[in-house]
Amino acid sequence: MAALLEVRGLRAGFDTDTGYIEVLDGVSFELAAGETLGLVGESGCGKSVSALSVMNLLPQPAGKITAGSIGFQNRDLVTLPKEEFHDVRGNRISMIFQEPMTALNPVHRVGNQIIEAVKLHEPNLSSAIARRRALEMLERVGIPAPDQRLKEYPHQLSGGMRQRVMIAMALTMQPDLLIADEPTTALDVTIQAQILDLLREMQRESGMAILFITHDLGVIAELCDRVTVMYAGCVVEQATVTQLFSTPRHPYTQGLLRSIPRLDATPKQPLTTIPGTVPALIDMPAGCRFRNRCLNAEDDCELRSPDLIHAAGRQIACHHPVAEVMP
Amino acid sequence: MTSYFIRRLLLVIPTFLGITLLVFAVTRVVPGGPIERAMNEALLAQTDSAQMIDMNSVAGAALSEDQLAELRAYYGFDKPWHESYVIWLGRVMQLDLGMSTRYTEPVWDIIKNRFPISIFYGITTLILTYAVCIPLGIAKALRHNSVFDNATSAVVFFGYALPGYVVAIALLTALASAWEWFPLGGFVSDNFDQLSTLDQAIDILYHATLPLIAYLAGSFAVMTFMVKNSLMDNLSSDYVRTAIAKGMPFKRAVFRHALRNSLIPVATSFGQLISVIISGSFLIEKIFNIDGFGLLGFESLVERDYPVVMGILVISSLLFLVGNILSDICVAIVDPRVKFGENGS
Ligand SMILES: Nc1ncnc2c1ncn2[C@@H]1O[C@H](COP(=O)(O)OP(=O)(O)OP(=O)(O)O)[C@@H](O)[C@H]1O
Ligand SMILES: [Mg+2]
Repeated sequence: MAALLEVRGLRAGFDTDTGYIEVLDGVSFELAAGETLGLVGESGCGKSVSALSVMNLLPQPAGKITAGSIGFQNRDLVTLPKEEFHDVRGNRISMIFQEPMTALNPVHRVGNQIIEAVKLHEPNLSSAIARRRALEMLERVGIPAPDQRLKEYPHQLSGGMRQRVMIAMALTMQPDLLIADEPTTALDVTIQAQILDLLREMQRESGMAILFITHDLGVIAELCDRVTVMYAGCVVEQATVTQLFSTPRHPYTQGLLRSIPRLDATPKQPLTTIPGTVPALIDMPAGCRFRNRCLNAEDDCELRSPDLIHAAGRQIACHHPVAEVMP
Repeated sequence: MTSYFIRRLLLVIPTFLGITLLVFAVTRVVPGGPIERAMNEALLAQTDSAQMIDMNSVAGAALSEDQLAELRAYYGFDKPWHESYVIWLGRVMQLDLGMSTRYTEPVWDIIKNRFPISIFYGITTLILTYAVCIPLGIAKALRHNSVFDNATSAVVFFGYALPGYVVAIALLTALASAWEWFPLGGFVSDNFDQLSTLDQAIDILYHATLPLIAYLAGSFAVMTFMVKNSLMDNLSSDYVRTAIAKGMPFKRAVFRHALRNSLIPVATSFGQLISVIISGSFLIEKIFNIDGFGLLGFESLVERDYPVVMGILVISSLLFLVGNILSDICVAIVDPRVKFGENGS
């Protein structure tokens, strides 16, 4: 499998008033062309920071990448000069965000914001053609009366419509990779399903790869080919969706899967949760970061942090993984 | 939108009535009105070197009851205050602001003479404030925490901390008195009428430089920081991130996306600023001997020249009310979300 995106040993963090805090501690994952990779993990584990690192969009000047590489189409995005990045962003890699309410500029018309995305990469295109492209895109993402919408401002659209506009904007240049950072979290369930359908359809049409970030394992099961599970700035397990859901090997993954409410469970039964809390970023324990909450933890977990190793078609970072059979 | 502005314009009427009614009532209540002034003058004329005796009894002697009644009728003090307010208002409707009790000239003529001066200083200050504060605020936001940012903050706050009249006196003593680079005061030179147009312009600027500096010294801080903070907020906003994610260079995203949103609070302040600036500052006008609204208003108040006080109030409250509507129009131009209550949304 020739990887389209190959993140290796990525370390990133922020300068704060109390000093530098590391958020990503050597994150690695890869994505083939046309594939959909899900990125899951608890809130604060560094999913957004990973995605923003790929786009070189970490909040400035606090955020920085300190080590690792991000291979994309024979370039290393970590060392890519700023000027060359303008050609990657929006053209080869696009991104949609969690909050469709704030991601569009309130004072510009929706149409102009899409046309702008086209013109940035094809400056010689006539305005009429750029406008037609924007119109087509709005049509493709299923916005009714698109020529009317083109003239409207973001506040005149619902959240679902705005997210469709964001998708239209992200896809106008037919990127090879779409990064979607919780694109449906802010939307209600029916709209959520529509947006997921739309993404799937767009992917079928254009053959782009998708990096899909979510907390929602249900969405992963529905949309993704493979999953990367993150915990406290590290990748703990990486496998195909089928492998991961049938036989989770990392104790954290197992805990995550157990905490999904199930229809066939006894009613009114409390949900299973993972005991304990994520250690604070400024005070990460040595060794495995999950060990204080882990049922399998032993003495050696404290000594050495586990490497991400390939094992039977998947990758896992654990000294004492769960046996292959689901208990 | 249009109907909103029509409603706003109609609202000017009750607000205007409220303001003038209040001040009119106050002029009736405070002691020392024009009648007392006339009595004092009569008293002084009669007993030049009189001992300090009970004012009222002597004044009563100085002016006969008939004369007093005549004076009261002249100033409208013979009727209850609300009646004279209605009479005054009726005259204002006919653009008649009455006679100044101090100059015995029509109030409108007195005000009219000050207009060009006040408008010149008002508009120039306004333009210079925006011309300096907006670019400065942008530059400071883009170089947040740099040497440039901190140095300009220090200068701007220094100007803010010094009262305008202190700056005025300092400038006058140093640049006009000691070094004689600038004139000591006034709006134009005595031979203004004989100068060519170009020289007239130069003459005005020559006279205006020091007062303008005094006016502006304190006015930069608020506006500059408003622009800077509001731009910084917008720079870290989601839609600027979206613009960069589309492939837009950061600098362009600043000007195309962040700037317009950060000018919304600036547009909001426009109306108040214009009325405050045109009303002027009597201290600075006094120091530089400029005959603007500020000085006129202050002197009229001290001299209890109520027709002039009310006249200035009419002009400045109208300016204020119209300025606020102008602000709203500016905001509506910059921000499409502002719909002013029409068909919801
Ligand atoms: N600008 C910043 N300055 C300092 N710390 C930050 C900043 N942005 C994020 N962090 C820290 O980085 C960590 C990871 O944040 P990130 O946004 O990647 O989490 P996430 O996995 O996307 O969570 P969520 O699911 O809630 O979106 C968090 O602990 C957060 O406190
Ligand atoms: Mg996130």
